[in-house]
Amino acid sequence: MNIPVDWTVAGPATIVMAGALVGLLVDAFFTRRTWLGSGLPATIALVAAGAELVRADSAPYPFAFSLVIVLGSLFVVVASNVMNFENAMPPGEYHFLLLGASAGALLMVAATDLVTLVVALELLSLPSIALVGLRQGDERAIRSAWTFFLASVVSTAITLMGISLLYGVTGSLDYVVVRDALADPDVPDSVVAVAVVLTVVGLLFKLGAVPFHVWIPDTYGGASVMVAGFLSAVSKAAALGALLAVLAVALPEARESWQPVVAVVAAATMTIGNVGALRQGDAIGLFAWSSIAQAGFLLAPAVAIFTVDGLTAPVQYIAVYALANLVAFAALAVVLRLRGSTRLEDLRGMARDDPWMGVPLVFAALTLAGFPPAVIGLVTKYVVIRPVVDADHIWLAVVMGVNVMIGLAYYLRLVVTLCDRPDGEQYHSPSPPVSVRIAKSTVLLGTAALLALSAWPDLLLSHLP
Amino acid sequence: MIVAALLVPFVVGFVLIVGRAHVPGRTAAWLGATAMTASLVLYALVWEGAEGVSGEIDESWIEPLGARLHLGVTLVSWPFVLMTAFIGLLCCLWLLADDTPPALVGLVLVVSASSLGVFSSLDVLLLFVFFELALIPMWFVIALWGASDDSSHGGADPGLGPRNGARSAATKFLLFTVSGSALLLVGIVVAALEGGTLELFELRPTATALVLIVLGFAVKTPIVPLHTWLPDAHSSAPTVGSVLLAAVFLKLGTYGLLVFVGPSDHIDVVGPYLAIAGAFGIVWSALACYAQDDLKRLVAYSSIGHMGFVVLAISTGTNAGVAAAVFGSVAHGLVTGLLFFTAGSMKDRFGTTSMSAIGRGLYGRAPWLAATFVLAAVASLGLPGLAGFWGELLSLRAAYEVGDVLTKPVAWTALGLALLGVALTTAYFVRAIRLVAQGEPVAHDADRDLGRREVVVLGALVAAVVVLGLAPQLLLDLFDTTYGSYAR
Repeated sequence: MNIPVDWTVAGPATIVMAGALVGLLVDAFFTRRTWLGSGLPATIALVAAGAELVRADSAPYPFAFSLVIVLGSLFVVVASNVMNFENAMPPGEYHFLLLGASAGALLMVAATDLVTLVVALELLSLPSIALVGLRQGDERAIRSAWTFFLASVVSTAITLMGISLLYGVTGSLDYVVVRDALADPDVPDSVVAVAVVLTVVGLLFKLGAVPFHVWIPDTYGGASVMVAGFLSAVSKAAALGALLAVLAVALPEARESWQPVVAVVAAATMTIGNVGALRQGDAIGLFAWSSIAQAGFLLAPAVAIFTVDGLTAPVQYIAVYALANLVAFAALAVVLRLRGSTRLEDLRGMARDDPWMGVPLVFAALTLAGFPPAVIGLVTKYVVIRPVVDADHIWLAVVMGVNVMIGLAYYLRLVVTLCDRPDGEQYHSPSPPVSVRIAKSTVLLGTAALLALSAWPDLLLSHLP
Repeated sequence: MIVAALLVPFVVGFVLIVGRAHVPGRTAAWLGATAMTASLVLYALVWEGAEGVSGEIDESWIEPLGARLHLGVTLVSWPFVLMTAFIGLLCCLWLLADDTPPALVGLVLVVSASSLGVFSSLDVLLLFVFFELALIPMWFVIALWGASDDSSHGGADPGLGPRNGARSAATKFLLFTVSGSALLLVGIVVAALEGGTLELFELRPTATALVLIVLGFAVKTPIVPLHTWLPDAHSSAPTVGSVLLAAVFLKLGTYGLLVFVGPSDHIDVVGPYLAIAGAFGIVWSALACYAQDDLKRLVAYSSIGHMGFVVLAISTGTNAGVAAAVFGSVAHGLVTGLLFFTAGSMKDRFGTTSMSAIGRGLYGRAPWLAATFVLAAVASLGLPGLAGFWGELLSLRAAYEVGDVLTKPVAWTALGLALLGVALTTAYFVRAIRLVAQGEPVAHDADRDLGRREVVVLGALVAAVVVLGLAPQLLLDLFDTTYGSYAR
């Protein structure tokens, strides 16, 4: 049997997977289990995958999502140096699982048929679950991994159900063939509606959309901070990319079935996520809930997928969102390592007494809130609202506006806490080991990128499709 | 030139905030005053005449969205710009003291510069960026340097110590404004999509967009019933914060209404509501003022009334209305700035602005301070010959002439309410004057007359108020010779 492989699609994922295996082997045979031993091959593999991605010159939307995934994973790998010398965290396994998950993410956005999609979804999910529970002897992590596992399995099962119904109706699993088959007026509408909604459910789960959001705060809270960052940025980008591809390529004919669902889910997601975030007293919990709300903003332009900006807007939004979120999580990882807490009252005055970590966190929060001086955050908010208005969903646009406001309420609470006058004695940041410095440098690089984009938003908006 | 006029205060402000540990307070204030003077001079020089746009700068910015870095001043924005730079300069001079925190000067500069940016933006997205940029610095001005001796609205977060009142007032201000601007953002998106442009003067919002935009600016202006953030924020802020809030921040709202609603084709959708809400605000705020003991709260409520006149003028959609709105806004900036500065002087002396605690007979105890306060108060209630009079008179006239937007019953109802408001305004300011300035002097340890710094700041404002009051044609001639000669 000869299975045709499109290497422009599979190339980057294969390189990443190979890097994962090399990292695991190096770690197995190199007796001093240092973070660098497996981290270096992982870094090289991701850089090579990025180069291959640029060289292969694939279709614009999968390319943009893949780029976000590769750069996001690279950021996570480098920032994960913060966990060096933490005995509970085995570096070889960590990098292997991380790269496995990113390979899954890469395949997911490049998939053009539903079976590849499900396989990639599993390749992304299973290592992610293991990553969450990887910290040895941490009961909370195990509990979080269990929650994640159960929710993941159920949603995948539902998606499989939907896909099998779709296969039954259309006789194919290829996106393009499914689309053509659905155009036939003879297909029964009710079955198609059920099939479409079920198929979308699994992807909405990965995206963390309401009502499949409950696993997120629990999982992010239990996982290592950088793993939470990975889930919030890379995993979300993959789910969004795959969802948009399915909706735009395979299911345009069934838009009456999914458009209202997507609109309502987007509105509910951003509202519930924001309301949840309002009550958080811990910075990680705050960012976990805020990432649910952001998923709503990512999803909303999907109702306008057939307008000019319907696909461009979520791509640009996720690029900025992923960068800002990774900066925030990396900064929190460093803070957790050095201060031992990420509770808001322990972070008071951080922008004053530890400006190299406090100011990036402030800037990331402002970007996510869409508030100047982080102009790029504001511009991307504008970008996602635009197609929604264009598709005449004014009510959804108003809900988005209200949610921008609620979002500001808690992001600004974080910002003013960080900028407040510190109480108690002056905090002196200790001189950290080199590995923590490497993690810090990623935070600073990410912030520099956000600053550059704020000064010149064209840099991003003209170059992503 | 406009770029320089904006960059100088921004850069100096930023440097002062970052280097706050290394600059003495007095030097910082001098630096700030120099920066604002430079900005004021540059803006004054940039004027090229009432026709078209002066000092225009048009660079590409975000190509895919069609947003441009488009700056310039027009007939409508130039008076606002000059007033803002002037008030910013006076705020810096007010801070000339050894114990001034340099960061406060820096924040004042950033707030002023952002407001200048709003007034000089000819691109809507750029305008919105500047509009938001001023908010967080203002939160810090109120929350960190504000003082609230009024415990009735504190206690939201018991862990925060004695600044509770100021902090919750600042947060209330921020949340109200931000919810307004969220609606504004959606409104701008709707307008930009349907008009196909982000240019301020080519944008013609549809009815839906206009309603959203008006709601957004209504919070800022504020229009009753969206005004509840204002008294707390104004009374909790430090003196310069109150001045900036009243003289500059409220103008962001009226300026927005002027440029978005005035030229709109759908003004008849919002016009009647604006007229009635504005007129109702005049009466409502006057009644609220009558119950105030705190001088700063009284001035804050009186601002709502003045903004009511401006909103009423805008809602008529006539040329006279535009002139009245611009004049009313500028006059309110100067007069209310003066009132808040005198209130600040009293706070510096007596530690409070409660009229009963200050005691009576200020004429006898600090004659110049009392005289300035009384002058500001009568200017605020609209005494002919002072700046406050012309704005109110022109608004009333615009309402009387009805215009094309309002119907006669609506316009004249609003007119009647506004006239009632004028009478009530006179009543409460006379009450305030009687309580503070007149009567048998009750000596207080802290009695002393104006210092040199206060003379300069208050004197400059008094001069401006008198000049604009005696020669309103300076400003009105810009608009239409008819109204200029009428005022003469």
